[in-house]
Amino acid sequence: MSTVQTVIDPQVTRSGSGAPAWWLVFIRELTDLWVGGKALVLVFIYTVFLGVVTYVIASNSELSLIPPKEMVYETIKNVMAVSLFIGLIIGADALSGERERNTLESLLLTPSSRRQIVFGKFLAAITFWPAAFVIAIPTFKLLSQGDEIFGQGLFWGGILGTVMVFAYVGLGMLVSFWSNSNKTSYFVSLGIYILFLVPAQLPGTAQTGVMGQFLQWINPIAAVNHFLSKILVNNIKFSEFWTWIEAPVGFTIIILGILFLYAAPGLRLEEGRASKIWSRVSRAIGLTVIAGLMVISAASPAAALQTGIEPEPLQISISMESKTVKASDSIFFDTVITNNGTEASPSIFVAMNIINLEKAGEPIDPEDWSPQRTQSIDPLAPGGSATLSWRVNAILEGDVMIYMVAIPQPKGANVTSHPVASPGIHLTVTPFTKLNPGGVLPIAIGGPILLLVIIYFVNRRRNRNIDMGGS
Amino acid sequence: MIQRKDSNASNSQREVLVANDLRKSYGPRHALQGLTFTLKAGRVLGFLGPNGAGKTTSIRILTTMMEPESGHFVVDGIGSEHPEEIRRRIGVLPENLGFPRQMTGIEYLTYYGQLYGRTAAQAREYGWTLLEDVGLQQRGKSLIGSYSHGMRQRAGIARALLNDPVVLFLDEPTLGLDPRGQQELLELIQKIARERGTGIVLCSHMLSEIESICDDVVILNLGQIVARGTVAEVIGRTQHNIVLRNALRVQVPTADVNKARQVLNTIPNIMKVSPIGEMEGWLRIELMEPGSGNTSKAYQINNNILSAIIRAKIPILSFEAEGGKLHDVFLRLTEEAIK
Repeated sequence: MSTVQTVIDPQVTRSGSGAPAWWLVFIRELTDLWVGGKALVLVFIYTVFLGVVTYVIASNSELSLIPPKEMVYETIKNVMAVSLFIGLIIGADALSGERERNTLESLLLTPSSRRQIVFGKFLAAITFWPAAFVIAIPTFKLLSQGDEIFGQGLFWGGILGTVMVFAYVGLGMLVSFWSNSNKTSYFVSLGIYILFLVPAQLPGTAQTGVMGQFLQWINPIAAVNHFLSKILVNNIKFSEFWTWIEAPVGFTIIILGILFLYAAPGLRLEEGRASKIWSRVSRAIGLTVIAGLMVISAASPAAALQTGIEPEPLQISISMESKTVKASDSIFFDTVITNNGTEASPSIFVAMNIINLEKAGEPIDPEDWSPQRTQSIDPLAPGGSATLSWRVNAILEGDVMIYMVAIPQPKGANVTSHPVASPGIHLTVTPFTKLNPGGVLPIAIGGPILLLVIIYFVNRRRNRNIDMGGS
Repeated sequence: MIQRKDSNASNSQREVLVANDLRKSYGPRHALQGLTFTLKAGRVLGFLGPNGAGKTTSIRILTTMMEPESGHFVVDGIGSEHPEEIRRRIGVLPENLGFPRQMTGIEYLTYYGQLYGRTAAQAREYGWTLLEDVGLQQRGKSLIGSYSHGMRQRAGIARALLNDPVVLFLDEPTLGLDPRGQQELLELIQKIARERGTGIVLCSHMLSEIESICDDVVILNLGQIVARGTVAEVIGRTQHNIVLRNALRVQVPTADVNKARQVLNTIPNIMKVSPIGEMEGWLRIELMEPGSGNTSKAYQINNNILSAIIRAKIPILSFEAEGGKLHDVFLRLTEEAIK
């Protein structure tokens, strides 16, 4: 057997005068997805879903009482939930689908880099999101009823939706990378989707406490929903709540990092297998996360036993007695805390309380109504006073009472303090203008019909270039 | 029109594929145990072996779809440590190749042509040339989903030729084709080898087609090469052992099979005459005395058999010594695996 030396002949090596592989794969995948492919069908289903949801909101007398801020927020949440699912499905088909259809080998046999192939497929897969978002814009406009929420919703929904779609398409592609069939890939993707989605749908009581808040913060979907609700509905400033988008952004960076830096270069005909090193690293990450959760859980503040009461000579007044507003309007007022005693007070916490007068004093979570649930003030000298400003967003229609409680910091473990309540603000919240179901119909029905027309013309244009003769 | 890539005679002697001691295991199972062979430009090499012999593993390794555990191979001077460069120089028609059903033939070739570095216009133009070469120019604008199996195989070969490969790997290209389709495809493969100077590795279970169009053959069994050389060399080398079994085959019209058996049973040197399985009209004739197959005595027995049949006025459709075909060599060399 003769020996041949390894020499790359530059004359034989093609220079690559055409477009880069990622662009070619992107264009090809884009055509596959959108011309007679599953993307148009999925968008059609999505449009029907959106139309139905919009019409139900508009025609249901209970739901139509919801103020525009909440309606837009809920719609953005639904749009994102459906889009993430579709993104996951498209991503989950990207590689295992090609394996299943025996078309991956042809692609891998070209001299194109694996990373470019994966990147091209990723770009094509995320094209679903801009289409879905644009389709939802008329719905946002309609539901916002002229409120400023429209612009805010577009801005934050667009940014966070894009971040999450990147992550979910990447996640689907990762699952697809390690799956040999679409059946496996879809099943695992669906499991992951439910795993992330379900905790975000749990009732509020399940999401409280240190662990509950942590799980909500670390779950990208729950964190995004929480962030959007605070920014869009509760008018909280970004600077006060930006930490809630750390997890979604971090999650996206990690997923895309694994996809493009670790997995993509190793794309091959058979499903990818994690290397031993990777298995150990992932096991270590898992154990670290579990250990971290245990530490955080153990660190939860235990309720301290209280054995004595020491009255404080505090007084708290409020600058408003009563007001009637429409749902989604905001009211602004001040509280003044005065130390009438002869000694300096300790630090004082002032907590907001809201009760529903129509439902036997049932408490309303102030977190949903106000960006300032509690505030604190430094110790007050004898005769001294401090003023705190408050903002309350009237979220739901009804008759509510808002009052403040000033709570002095107890001086020790075995001593308690005497909270003092302010007079209440009697707030009457009237419903926002109801949506006209008839006005919603053009969008609810028109969207899907317009899309059907587009599908028809796209296919017709495509068929014009095809010889339809049989074999 | 198949373009001639290199026409000089010396080029046909150029080694375009050199595999050296390639090894691969799947857990405890050794799928490949030292694959070593050479392919020269313009020659067709038949790659044979029973199921599980290591053919697919070999092809996957040589087409850079899989890495060997050890060993090395060189394609057109490029070592296996440069898989992307090797992929520029090889064309592959894998077994069970999938096609995008929603693309037309010309779109398919244009897309892959671009992935090999051509501009869209160049790729489209060359795609039409290749479609003409494989006889699909009339269906270039039809969806691949509407192609017959044979047409898809042709489209697959056209795709494999997009980069003017130095080595072309064809894995069961005629599988599922009707006899005419098989014949046309084999002629196309021969044409590609002769006119383009492409070295072709042809994997097939159809031993007759390997024998008819291949210049060289490699027979694998249990991950090892059990025979290697030109088709004639392999048959000749192994024939000696097989003919020791001393059997002949004759084909007569089906209606005359019983009559032929009676006639043959009257000849003294014949031990047994029996029909051959599903091969209609074929009889297997076992001789009493083992011989080398090419002695004067053996020739005399052959003549006696033929004379007896002719005297009985039975038409002889075919006559051959068992072991004279690649089919026999293959069965003999791989019987251990079958057992």
